[in-house]
Amino acid sequence: MKQVLSLNINGHDRDVMVSHEDLLVDVLRDQLGLIGTKKGCGHGSCGTCTVIIDGEAVLSCLTLALSSQGKKITTIEGIEKDGALHPLQQSFIERGAVQCGFCTPGMIMSAAALLSHNKSPSIEEIKIGLSGNLCRCTGYVKIVDAVEVAAAKMRQLDAAQKGA
Amino acid sequence: MSSDERELHVRGLSRFIDDHCLPGQSLYAAVCSSKVPCAELRSVDIAPALALPGVVTVLTAKDIPGENQIGAIVGDEPLLATDHLRWIGEPIALVIGRSDQAARAGAAAVVVDAQERPAVFDPREAARLGQLIVPIRRFEKGDVDAAFTRSATVVAGRVESAGQEHVYLETQGAVAEVDGNKVRIRSATQSPTGVQRAVARVLGLPMSDVEVDVPRLGGAFGGKEDQATPYAALAALAALRLRQPVKLVLSRVEDMRLSGKRHPYSTDYRLGLDEGGRILAFEVTYYQNGGGAADLSPAILDRSLYHATAAYRVPAARMTGYSCRTNLPPFTAFRGFGAPQAFLAFEAALDHAAQATAVPRHELQRRNLVVEGDCLPCGMVLSGARATETFDDARKRFDLSKRLARIANHNACRPRLVQGLATMPVCFGISFTNKILNQASSLVHVFTDGSVSVSTGAVEMGQGVSRKLARIAASVLGADEALVRVEATSTTRAANTSPTAASTGADLNGMATLLAARSIRERLDALSKSASDAPLSFSQAVTHAYASRISLSAQAHYATPHLGIDPETGAHRPFAYHVYGTALVEVELDTILGTYRVTSVKVVHDVGHSLDPGTDRGQVEGALLQGIGWVTCEDLRYVEGRLASDTLTTYKVPDILGAPELEVVLSESDNDRAVMGSKAVGEPPFIYGLGAFFALLDALRAAGARLPEGEYDSPLTPERVLTLLCCDGNR
Repeated sequence: MKQVLSLNINGHDRDVMVSHEDLLVDVLRDQLGLIGTKKGCGHGSCGTCTVIIDGEAVLSCLTLALSSQGKKITTIEGIEKDGALHPLQQSFIERGAVQCGFCTPGMIMSAAALLSHNKSPSIEEIKIGLSGNLCRCTGYVKIVDAVEVAAAKMRQLDAAQKGA
Repeated sequence: MSSDERELHVRGLSRFIDDHCLPGQSLYAAVCSSKVPCAELRSVDIAPALALPGVVTVLTAKDIPGENQIGAIVGDEPLLATDHLRWIGEPIALVIGRSDQAARAGAAAVVVDAQERPAVFDPREAARLGQLIVPIRRFEKGDVDAAFTRSATVVAGRVESAGQEHVYLETQGAVAEVDGNKVRIRSATQSPTGVQRAVARVLGLPMSDVEVDVPRLGGAFGGKEDQATPYAALAALAALRLRQPVKLVLSRVEDMRLSGKRHPYSTDYRLGLDEGGRILAFEVTYYQNGGGAADLSPAILDRSLYHATAAYRVPAARMTGYSCRTNLPPFTAFRGFGAPQAFLAFEAALDHAAQATAVPRHELQRRNLVVEGDCLPCGMVLSGARATETFDDARKRFDLSKRLARIANHNACRPRLVQGLATMPVCFGISFTNKILNQASSLVHVFTDGSVSVSTGAVEMGQGVSRKLARIAASVLGADEALVRVEATSTTRAANTSPTAASTGADLNGMATLLAARSIRERLDALSKSASDAPLSFSQAVTHAYASRISLSAQAHYATPHLGIDPETGAHRPFAYHVYGTALVEVELDTILGTYRVTSVKVVHDVGHSLDPGTDRGQVEGALLQGIGWVTCEDLRYVEGRLASDTLTTYKVPDILGAPELEVVLSESDNDRAVMGSKAVGEPPFIYGLGAFFALLDALRAAGARLPEGEYDSPLTPERVLTLLCCDGNR
């Protein structure tokens, strides 16, 4: 039995047909073609499927698609603004926080959720914010560094906007 | 763009295997595998699977048109089992369905009739039973027995090192399709040629009818050197049979259950020292748990033997290795390739000697490090040795004596949280120990607009080899690096490639790229000289060359020189050169809970002249965290041949909260044995992580634990640490 699921994905309203048992990660990837959201473990342990639902970082592999009815979902494909990279995307490149790239989208989404709640996180807070995301390549040093750099940049942008 | 994929990754645009062929675009395959560790296979009933909705077909060994064999070193691994089942997870049948759910339901429905036989899981038992994958390997230097007789101190004991799961975040997978009369496979493999060769063999086709493409890997660490092959071959088998694209991607649990990991070793050691704490003799016997098929085990055992003496000068040494056949999944390559097990055993022996002689371990280490001109047990004479230099640099730079004093002071009043520190020196040989593999080729095209395309066998898996290749090509050609594209690896563009492994990806493919680029540059230079007095820009020279009908493409081949047996001296030179470095690893242990943190790791690492310091630093950081994981939290457990730690909740890799504060100093030096003076970086830093094991031992001793003498069991999980704390009634 399929039914209509209405979502707002990356700013666009979309209707998809889903079954009760369909997981959000599969709907995003298979039906909407948003392959930036990865499936690394399928049981909520690695964080590669992280998306933002109504402002909170959520593991889409543990989320039934129908539970997102009417919600606002942001995936890695939706965080660029006006064709420009998000400061986190920029800093992950600049600080060398990307190696194989498989954990990167989930890592950035967790960081984005963190920074939307806490504009000046301490290193400890960054680590806690990203503690559900595994990376097997980097040793995490450059990832923490990249989030710090992005946070500083976003504060600057905020201040500049307020000033203007 | 292509040489730097980071922008694609951060935008979620880079496609891994599972991101190709979305539903409706392909059929799905799932593996039905053995549920028992050792059995005679009597029959396979596929009818119940075929009766399920969405199941298209089921393939077994009899459906293989060519040879049912994928073993690369030893021909002992059928693609699909025939008469015997030798480990839990051995593939028996392949179910193809219209969806992955249908295929998996089909795989679960296949009925396997098997008569169980007694299984062997312990490598020493396998050795006793004569179940060896290859004959015993042994070599010896000097008069070992006499040297032990002369020794003032002799210690002997045993080291148990557990296996390690790779946890590459992208699981194993492949997508295969038949295009006209060519089989095309997109495979997550470090070894495109290995896959091509195996698929050709299995399908009964010439290699020229099989094309393997590897755009990128979501991590590999050795786990996709040999063990990506079965999934590629199975997908290809199904695609050829059904003439439709077939996708086979393992779930995490399937991947953990089916795939091989780092080899568990059980090792006996004996170490002899003189009164001054100088090593005189070393004897070691490795019982390598090879699992149910050879895979790369013999080559891995060779690297253990070559690294048996770790970073130390050992005048007399006897090394023996047993590659043991057991009823576990075939263990395989993992960063370090047998060297970590050897380093752990030697450092354990040295720790034992430090306890016996009451000389601090770091003192014994320093006194015995290899120096320039030393002859390794294999016969290789070291040149460019930097073991003492990097050790002393680390010792001074990070103020070892002050740290030790601070820790001793802290521990003196027996606090709840005690501290420990270990120094961990590295001397790691670079080259494939199988000489044949030390070759590579590169195909370079310069287009008329001055942009460049480079094709090699180097697979990009996050280690940054593409950026290094782009940098080499750009600097030799005089081209704009941003306009150099390093292509995805394809067997059609780069043939007969070696796996991207043994840390040699940049060394081998970089040198081939340098040679190819240089021959184009020479053509441009010759033309420029004859054309005008004023020097031409790169793009002007290119335009001019094209107009003069001069080729703007070149292919070059590189084979590492001076490897193998020296015909005059008979000395064996397995490696082009060595990589050196030293780490200081500190831990803090809770003496009540047994929990601990690796608090800081400080490293001086030898990089030659780095092609890309940011990338090399990332490699050091990532490798050493994997090393820490191996000896601390990563607890690979089998129960009667069944993997008990088969999810990421039961098998813990270091997470961001477990990552220590890291400081990595890249120490430059000249190296005339690799491309542009660089040094390989992938594997050596893994060894630094082993320092956590010895730092924890020191912390345990500081807590008053009386550790069993001559028994070293890795990993030191918090559970095991607590046992060690409690069994002596401490606190």
